Amino acid sequence: MELQEKITILSGAARYDASCASSGSSREGSACGVGNTSQGGICHSWSDDGRCVSLLKILLSNDCRYDCAYCVNRSSNPVPRASFTAREVVDLTMDFYRRNYIEGLFLSSAVNVSPDHTMEEMVRVAEMLRNEERFGGYIHLKIIPGSSPELIRRAGLAADRISVNIELPSSESLQRLAPQKKKEAILAPMKLIGAEAGVSLVERRKSRNAPRFAPAGQSTQMIIGASPETDLQILQLSQGLYRKMNLKRVYYSAFVPVNDDNRLPVLSAPPLLREHRLYQADWLLRFYGFSPEEILSDDAPNLDESFDPKTAWALRHPEFFPVEINRASYATLLRVPGIGVVSAKRIIAARRFAPVTHEGMKKIGVVMKRAKYFITCSGRPFEKIDQQPARLRQRLLLGDGSEQKQPRQLVLPGLFA
Amino acid sequence: MNKYLYDGTPEGLVSAIGAILESGDDPEKTVLGIRQDTLFEEGLFLRTDSAAAEALFQRLRERAPDAVQALWYFTMAETSELETSLLRYIALAFEHGDRVNGYLTHPDVKAVVAIARKASRELHRMKGLLRFEQLRDGTWLARMEPDHNVIQPLARHFSRRLRAQEWFIYDARRHSAAHWDGRALSFGTLEQFSRPELSPEEQQVQQLWQTFFKTIAIPERKNPRLQQSNMPAKYWKYLTEKQGE
Repeated sequence: MELQEKITILSGAARYDASCASSGSSREGSACGVGNTSQGGICHSWSDDGRCVSLLKILLSNDCRYDCAYCVNRSSNPVPRASFTAREVVDLTMDFYRRNYIEGLFLSSAVNVSPDHTMEEMVRVAEMLRNEERFGGYIHLKIIPGSSPELIRRAGLAADRISVNIELPSSESLQRLAPQKKKEAILAPMKLIGAEAGVSLVERRKSRNAPRFAPAGQSTQMIIGASPETDLQILQLSQGLYRKMNLKRVYYSAFVPVNDDNRLPVLSAPPLLREHRLYQADWLLRFYGFSPEEILSDDAPNLDESFDPKTAWALRHPEFFPVEINRASYATLLRVPGIGVVSAKRIIAARRFAPVTHEGMKKIGVVMKRAKYFITCSGRPFEKIDQQPARLRQRLLLGDGSEQKQPRQLVLPGLFA
Repeated sequence: MNKYLYDGTPEGLVSAIGAILESGDDPEKTVLGIRQDTLFEEGLFLRTDSAAAEALFQRLRERAPDAVQALWYFTMAETSELETSLLRYIALAFEHGDRVNGYLTHPDVKAVVAIARKASRELHRMKGLLRFEQLRDGTWLARMEPDHNVIQPLARHFSRRLRAQEWFIYDARRHSAAHWDGRALSFGTLEQFSRPELSPEEQQVQQLWQTFFKTIAIPERKNPRLQQSNMPAKYWKYLTEKQGE
């Protein structure tokens, strides 16, 4: 088979993997080698769906023995099958890297003979890149559930990031849609990776020459909208993964119907807005000090489509507002809709010089369209605030004037960082 | 209001700022601009003094290293409008140190920081969007036309990343070039430029990349507006994946 054709099949099969992050690792390349990594990550292009392209995201093979309902590569699907040799992937990575198309490689694979067989071949690609090509760029390896601890250790030593897909938000859904995959086989490698990364950190504190284990951490991905879990359940799961498994990122992937299967819901379009809201809520968990139970409750277990989750929280908590910009703590500022991590820090830096006014808030970059209903600057509200929640909702939705609210352009904060 | 003029060079700008700061004039009541040599032009012309410019840099580096960084990005923008803002910004940097970059409610600080941020954003962007092509003699060439003059820091980035290959970066807007020979960087200008012939396998690899780029997008999520807002069309001219569209 021609290389062109293999790429078409095996990148087409890999495109549903959400992560493209190349951040979190900073490695100086070796003197005789090629490549380094940059702490903040670098995007190299944006594909026709608007998602960032940072890594050569590709499957080693799409020839799968599993038959998961949601997956385009499942064994019962009549799609063309292809496999790369390790050498082909290595050459492709180097050819692309030298032309500055990519930051590195994101390698995943379908499982054919056995998990260990596939994992071994994937690890071999990473080790060839590091040892034979002296490649210093970014490598993200997917871990195949059920592969042996020794292979997982080798993967972690060669890669910057490794990830195990949790696939679906509950073990019942996994049982129903991916009956050949077991929850334990997914969680066990996650735990092992967390433990190994911890050991490596301790060792590196003792000696700078101790080997790094997945310096950019581990991430995971789950499909949203193929199964009945609520957003509250999903956020609680994510919180658990961040807290207990020490994950760097959880990716949410809107379910794209690629198969006809009566176990799957029928959707007219992938739930992109829901995915977007989940990413926003995920940000609130990781950077804004929110808990899942503050964002959602058993009575209202799903995210509001009309408002971002922080605005929705603010509307439910009028007693918290208005917040006085020139006195409030960082944590309090972060609770104001329209004020993000960056602008909260900027407010604190700017008010050391002089009190911040409404005009100053705009200079700082606060989204006043949302923030103005929730703040005072030196005691002054932006305008007379009608604190009635129903009114506020309406104004936030429709804006002040008669202008129609433009449909929101969806962005995916999840694809970078 | 005190009015001063300089010769329009970056060095002249920095040395003029140094002279004004030493004169004891209040920067908030002073304006600085380029000498136009028109008949009724008002203002005192300050002659460029390289030693004074260097001395100001040194003092600022000790007092506020982040402000030097901002000044450096500011010069990449090659703007000739915000001299007065820069003067006041540097005066504030001497007064407050690096905290000055947090004084965003001050209009001149805001103006300078905003310009510097734009330049640094484009530098970061070019680190991703630059495309190297292999030439027949085995060396590599990348062409670009960025809004800001980012070639120096960009070349330093690639001298660490692609250090095992010999390459050139050419800025077609400014006719300037950087060259890495595997050991050292050099910079120069090229008045005449035409792209040399490509290596035999270059075409093939470019096709592989174009194929990858096409298939990696999820058809059900097609979103050209988002693509363009992340990657403005002005950069497409030299993007391998955007050729032949």
